[in-house]
Amino acid sequence: MALALESLTVSVGGKSVCRQLSMSFKPGEFWGIMGINGVGKSTLLQCLMGLRKADSGKVLLDNTPLLTYKPIERARKMGLMLQEYEYNFPCSVMEAVLIGRHPFVHSLQWENNKDKNLARQALQKVALDSFSERSINTLSGGEKRRLNLATLLTQNPEYYLLDEPVNHLDIKAQLDVLTLLQHKFKTRYCGIMVIHDPNLAWRYCDHILLLDNGECISGEAKSILNTENLSRLYQCPVQTLKNQEHTIFIPHKNDLHLTTND
Amino acid sequence: MVYTPDIMTLKQHPVIFFALLLILSLFSFIFAMLTGSVCIPLQELSNLLSHTASPFYHSLIFDLRLPRAFAAFTAGALLSLAGVLMQVLLRNPLADPYVLGVSGGSALAALLSMLAGLGSFWLTGSAFLGALASIFLVFSFAHSQGGWTISRLLLTGIILASGWGALISFVLVIAPAERIHGMLFWLMGDLSYNRPVLPSFIILLLGLAGSLVISRQLNIMLWGDLQAGSLGVDSRKLRTIIFFLSSLLTAGAISLAGSIGFVGLVIPHLVRLLIGNDHRLLLPASALTGGSLLVIADTMARTILAPQQLPVGVLTALIGVPLFLYLLRRSH
Repeated sequence: MALALESLTVSVGGKSVCRQLSMSFKPGEFWGIMGINGVGKSTLLQCLMGLRKADSGKVLLDNTPLLTYKPIERARKMGLMLQEYEYNFPCSVMEAVLIGRHPFVHSLQWENNKDKNLARQALQKVALDSFSERSINTLSGGEKRRLNLATLLTQNPEYYLLDEPVNHLDIKAQLDVLTLLQHKFKTRYCGIMVIHDPNLAWRYCDHILLLDNGECISGEAKSILNTENLSRLYQCPVQTLKNQEHTIFIPHKNDLHLTTND
Repeated sequence: MVYTPDIMTLKQHPVIFFALLLILSLFSFIFAMLTGSVCIPLQELSNLLSHTASPFYHSLIFDLRLPRAFAAFTAGALLSLAGVLMQVLLRNPLADPYVLGVSGGSALAALLSMLAGLGSFWLTGSAFLGALASIFLVFSFAHSQGGWTISRLLLTGIILASGWGALISFVLVIAPAERIHGMLFWLMGDLSYNRPVLPSFIILLLGLAGSLVISRQLNIMLWGDLQAGSLGVDSRKLRTIIFFLSSLLTAGAISLAGSIGFVGLVIPHLVRLLIGNDHRLLLPASALTGGSLLVIADTMARTILAPQQLPVGVLTALIGVPLFLYLLRRSH
């Protein structure tokens, strides 16, 4: 049981995202995908979700080519939290979260109490349970982000594809959300998350995939996340501060000399 | 533009809302039956049920007013449904059934048949065929380079609409003076001709049933193609279905009543405000509201300057413009 890539080559606008990439994402793993802006992290997630065709190679979901799945069957196994959403036609928070049940509810039926309970539990997990009847247009950016996560939790697929899920979140909310996800992905679920902050990635992800203009480096987080890889990836010197528990990555520009007061 | 419904109370009680709409529909038909250049007392309605009404009233109601009210209801419901669907297709609450030029193609074909002096059957038929031709033109042009985007679809529709507009002006310029009046009435939307209602009514029933089947998918489409795709909705296929469904509904309305304006824009807006954006409720509610309000508007159109009749499109625009501006102000 895994989401496997076989010699996957993806490009966007003539620029290579990955070349001949073969690897697999398994339940119980929490992956972080990192790379500079525009390197194709979101494009790769869309390929993994089957929403965009690869140039060559295959994505296999539980040993079956992803593109042979019906969209609705795929949505029962995989879910995607996008970076941005459209909110031109607002609804209540509860209605927004309940759309996560769409793959599981017959087209002529309405969501039942079980679906509503799943939605309530998801809202509770992201601390939005008291907002359920509010219009989504009254939510802040961070609250909307938690709402998007609640929708995905209500969908509750086996593979969670997350595109910068902690965007707009304050520092405590970032930790809360990532702790929730880390806990979830220790069981039979798999998380694949695009993330920019190497410190959060180091703390929460157990595996890392670095995208570097078509070249990919993947492996266990603790071995991949080092000053050498990060400095090369971001073309910016990265230093580390370590104590017994944590490693903290500090990027700085070449021409800047940090002092203890900076 | 971000559209914020802030009246959430009726949303919590859809049964009450639909009961009110059914009452409104019933009221609109009674209003249409009793009102006109000859007013019929309410008591005559019970006489009609007991078959004791005078033959004059009987004929007035069953031969003239009821068929016309039925046509108005059908046209209003068709336009409102088409408006809701077009707003989902273009993901814009300001879209209306005519935005992609369907009415222009239909109007040109109808005017040409009037110019040729063809009868009512051919007028209806050519209006319908003109709408279909316009639909296919927009679809094939917007699709020419594989896939379509909202902006390409909108641009194709708007360009074609302006092309139709120019041709319509040309027909009006060369048309003989005695035909101009009928043409202008048709262009503004008019229910005074006795046109066959049944084909449009069948389109309404099929369109409503079809759109209800995909109504939850419509809710998801509002979140964008990627979100729809990640929730198992084939958005490309669904967009094609919505396009043809809304176009067919518009063609049914135009061939029945000409280009009645504002119903397809204002009614979905109004109902969204009252009951929110869940299409499982919004679609039937819009059909009932649009149908009833067009029956009332048409009754007023033939009453205000009786015995002279106004094109109903003039009245819907006169009501629609201030109502729309009011809704626009409220939306922020």
